[in-house]
Amino acid sequence: MLNVDEVSKTLSELLWAEKYRPKTLDEIVNQTEVVARLKQFIKEKNMPHLLFAGPPGTGKTTAAHALARDFYGDDYRLYMLELNASDERGIDVIRTKVKEFARSKLPADVPFKIVLLDEADNMTADAQQALRRLMEMYVTVSRFILIANYPSKIIEPIQSRCAVFRFVALKKEDVVSRLSWICSQEKLKCGNDALETIYELSEGDMRRAINILQSTAALGEITVSNVYKVVGLAHPKEVREMIKAALSGNFIKARDMLRSLMVTYGMSGVDIIKQIHREIMSSEVDIPESVRVELADYIGEIQFRVVEGADDEIQLNALLAKMALIGRKLAEVQAKRVGK
Amino acid sequence: MLVSKKIPWVIKYRPRKIDELVNQDDAKALVKAWLRSWESGKPEKKAALFYGPPGSGKTSMVEAICREYGYQLVEMNASDYRRASDIERVAKVASLQKGLFASKRLILLDEVDGVSGVADEGAIEAILDLIETTKNPVVMTANDPWDVRLRPVRDKSLLVEFKRLTKTEVLNLLKKICLNEKLICDEEALKFIAEKSEGDLRSAINDLEAVAEGAGKITLDLVKQILRARDRVLEPFEVVRNILRSNYVWQAKQNASQTDLAPDELMQWINENLPLQITDPEDLWRAYEALSKADVYMGRIVKSGSWDLLAYATELMSAGVALSIVNDVKSKYRWVKYQFPSKIRLMTQTKEARALRDTIAELIGRQVHASKQKVINYVLPYVRIIFDNNPEMAAKIAVGLNLTDSMVRYLTQRNADAVLNYVRELRKAISEEVKASKPSKTSSGTSPPTKGKGKSTQTKEKEGRGLDAFFKKT
Repeated sequence: MLNVDEVSKTLSELLWAEKYRPKTLDEIVNQTEVVARLKQFIKEKNMPHLLFAGPPGTGKTTAAHALARDFYGDDYRLYMLELNASDERGIDVIRTKVKEFARSKLPADVPFKIVLLDEADNMTADAQQALRRLMEMYVTVSRFILIANYPSKIIEPIQSRCAVFRFVALKKEDVVSRLSWICSQEKLKCGNDALETIYELSEGDMRRAINILQSTAALGEITVSNVYKVVGLAHPKEVREMIKAALSGNFIKARDMLRSLMVTYGMSGVDIIKQIHREIMSSEVDIPESVRVELADYIGEIQFRVVEGADDEIQLNALLAKMALIGRKLAEVQAKRVGK
Repeated sequence: MLVSKKIPWVIKYRPRKIDELVNQDDAKALVKAWLRSWESGKPEKKAALFYGPPGSGKTSMVEAICREYGYQLVEMNASDYRRASDIERVAKVASLQKGLFASKRLILLDEVDGVSGVADEGAIEAILDLIETTKNPVVMTANDPWDVRLRPVRDKSLLVEFKRLTKTEVLNLLKKICLNEKLICDEEALKFIAEKSEGDLRSAINDLEAVAEGAGKITLDLVKQILRARDRVLEPFEVVRNILRSNYVWQAKQNASQTDLAPDELMQWINENLPLQITDPEDLWRAYEALSKADVYMGRIVKSGSWDLLAYATELMSAGVALSIVNDVKSKYRWVKYQFPSKIRLMTQTKEARALRDTIAELIGRQVHASKQKVINYVLPYVRIIFDNNPEMAAKIAVGLNLTDSMVRYLTQRNADAVLNYVRELRKAISEEVKASKPSKTSSGTSPPTKGKGKSTQTKEKEGRGLDAFFKKT
């Protein structure tokens, strides 16, 4: 008898970013240096604690899973605890879940277990301190793989206990050839110019590139114009309207729009900031060139503060207030000119 | 500020001699006799228990004794002697070593009524031990000496009562301080402080100092304005309004302290109401700039756990914001209706939708190995496009993720019915195929890796790679 799970698989669809995720180290085509070093661990049947650092979509999580699979085989999940530190970031998780797993008895057939902590840079300082002790205490039975976008947010004592692997943003040809391969698997016609456009828009982030590809396929043909359509759809147009409201001096209205973007839409502060930045730099927002530069400076500052700060909304309100101020000044200049 | 560099008045105006203590004549007599008995070498009781309401002079008495009689003070606060071992340590170090050349010592156990039963197990016994073996006078202080647990200690000690000071006694000392500090003080103002202190001299002096700070003349109005507010917890509306109307840093900080709100909540209240009160765009931006920096400090506090930084956050969100209003000062005195932080309100209203969104994000996150937040920001927008535009692909994804009907409806408004139709067809097809199938295995093409522990539907051909040979269970 077939079971439901198996049949479902033939009739259901995964997100392509997952469907085409490399399963083994051999399948990872880019990051050659990293992969070569990781393969050495497989050969030696041993490894230290690892820290994978690099921008999003460069294969960190993929490499961790592939490494574990190459170590333990397809049942690797029996020997690996996977936690996403953004969702479970507190010290309690470290003290309970991670500790329980890390210190549990080693199955007879493996030399160590693996604890995979994704997005580890979102862990609190306390949790990191607790983690550091676990890494020391249970090193004989457990190895830790930490994944982070910003390794500087990982406390020094942990960094010094890990072999650090730096993942670099993917090159254009890597992304384009991967996308083109996916297209052939999915029996899709695609133009090289469309795939190159996807690369430009995804900033070397493979996951994002594949997401764009799949959404474009959902619209129809993989063409440059469809790619742009997808990217436009993915970014709510409310952001542009919010900018316009702020620049026209209507701070309250802009703030209300911001709130709905954050609460209802669920956009993160950084994401909104990045989109504001894109909009400010586009011709859609009609402001003097010098103001674009002035705003870029402040937007950058605000993005930095969001990463440092506690509340996205307050930071973005400061940005909107700045825009309202700039808007007012522009209007005054305009009025003078008309007066003359 | 220069003022803050001075030593606090409660320290500055401490009595130097026993006789300088305000009132407490009975206590003075008892203490002097007790000290004489120590000087003669044969104290009847080795310990004294000073008890009385706060600010009646217990600790001041101890300090005056040390000054006048030349004792070196060995002090332990309630927080120091939580455990028997701590007390034993002091007992050893201080009590027994009455060296030839070392000065004589006086041991002070402050706030003994703070010793709690369970947490400080053995503490009372250790204190009794200390009294037993000490060669130096031991003084304990307590607000409430009649606690049952203190009874054995009480029995071994000379009980010295400190009476609550009268209003006149407090008033007289305040006058003295005013004279000494060359402050112009209205009698009525001082009376108000004295009355409010309820015999607690320490708090009266503190109040006087607080009012005097930044003001040349102490009037009844000023006292009322500062002190009445000080002890009252205000409504958030009032607090924000007071903060925005502040003209001095100390005033803004004081206003910010009159609330039960946690600092981050207060920040939300200010965030909400700033643009309602402030109209000038430049003022508004400056104010937000200050609030934004306060928020950065809050973030650092959360991340590093160093609550020391809270002072800076508070100053920026109160004084920093208030003093940003310079272009249109009048605006801050306008009366505007404030509102409850709508972020909190919106969060409540959208709770269900967000819960649904979060569940979807978690489902997807588990599949694509990403956090909820990342999925919401970087995956959901694309999933929405697929659901809005391609019901067939959407239905397959919905089946793959096992999405409920309401989740599908959340992901697409305009295409929900079409997607759900396909979903039903697919599910039907799946169950039929399962029913019809024979034990023979059908290959499943590019099947994904199995999720979930222990469940393996992988085909055998992949085995034997990597360390499988070494690790494979037998």
